[in-house]
Amino acid sequence: MSRQANRGTESKKMSSELFTLTYGALVTQLCKDYENDEDVNKQLDKMGYNIGVRLIEDFLARSNVGRCHDFLETADVIAKVAFKMYLGITPSITNWSPAGDEFSLILENNPLVDFVELPDNHSSLIYSNLLCGVLRGALEMIRKPRCTADT
Amino acid sequence: MAVCVAVIAKENYPLYIRSIPTENELKFHYMVHTSLDVVDEKISAMGKALVDQRELYLGLLYPTEDYKVYGYVTNSKVKFVMVVDSSNTALRDNEIRSMFRKLHNSYTDVMCNPFYNPGDRIQSRWTKRMLRVLASSGHS
Repeated sequence: MSRQANRGTESKKMSSELFTLTYGALVTQLCKDYENDEDVNKQLDKMGYNIGVRLIEDFLARSNVGRCHDFLETADVIAKVAFKMYLGITPSITNWSPAGDEFSLILENNPLVDFVELPDNHSSLIYSNLLCGVLRGALEMIRKPRCTADT
Repeated sequence: MAVCVAVIAKENYPLYIRSIPTENELKFHYMVHTSLDVVDEKISAMGKALVDQRELYLGLLYPTEDYKVYGYVTNSKVKFVMVVDSSNTALRDNEIRSMFRKLHNSYTDVMCNPFYNPGDRIQSRWTKRMLRVLASSGHS
């Protein structure tokens, strides 16, 4: 991924529509192959996990953030640095649990779901489950083993 | 105010057709169907040499005593037909053009939905809402 030594924080621009359409084609093909929303969700999570374990290296190399001291900081870094860097959006952090070990990320305009309308026969499909997998994979690699991702 | 809006596929079957006065819908379906001949005539009249420069908006297809029918063809041969009340004389050409452009934009958004197969009838909730807004805002 870091082929050039002085790449720094430069990011290549690409069409977001191609990205959205690619993800949409991926999900619909999975739906056709598995025909069962639960299996599709599981596959999306697995794929996301594989992306996450690799993406975390790129993220740490590009963003130069230091070690987070507490979970609150982790949440901030995920929302403000990571999502901004890769998807160009900043989700909002809400819904902290009383013990401070769970929170929700609300994505206002998720580029993955532009133009998408879930038909009625896929009501239990978690369309953006790939993102959950990515978060799970990335956080596991930096040793947060009890991290689970939910939508 | 547009009383009927229709989206017709390349093979000349309707993907979406909706008329505002819900009684006597068949009359509008028939009108749209007959307007397809006029559309084909206009497309072929342009000639093969001018295909690149052909404008998407076809203009008034034919007037009847109560209604006027306007047409618009995309480069992928999907046709949009709009039936407008004749009594609404305030409706200008560029307003019709902008309505067709909005229709074209909402059609491309439906196409971008990964769960929509090209050639299916358009049943998306979002499109229905959009088209309803379009039909009711014709007299702005």
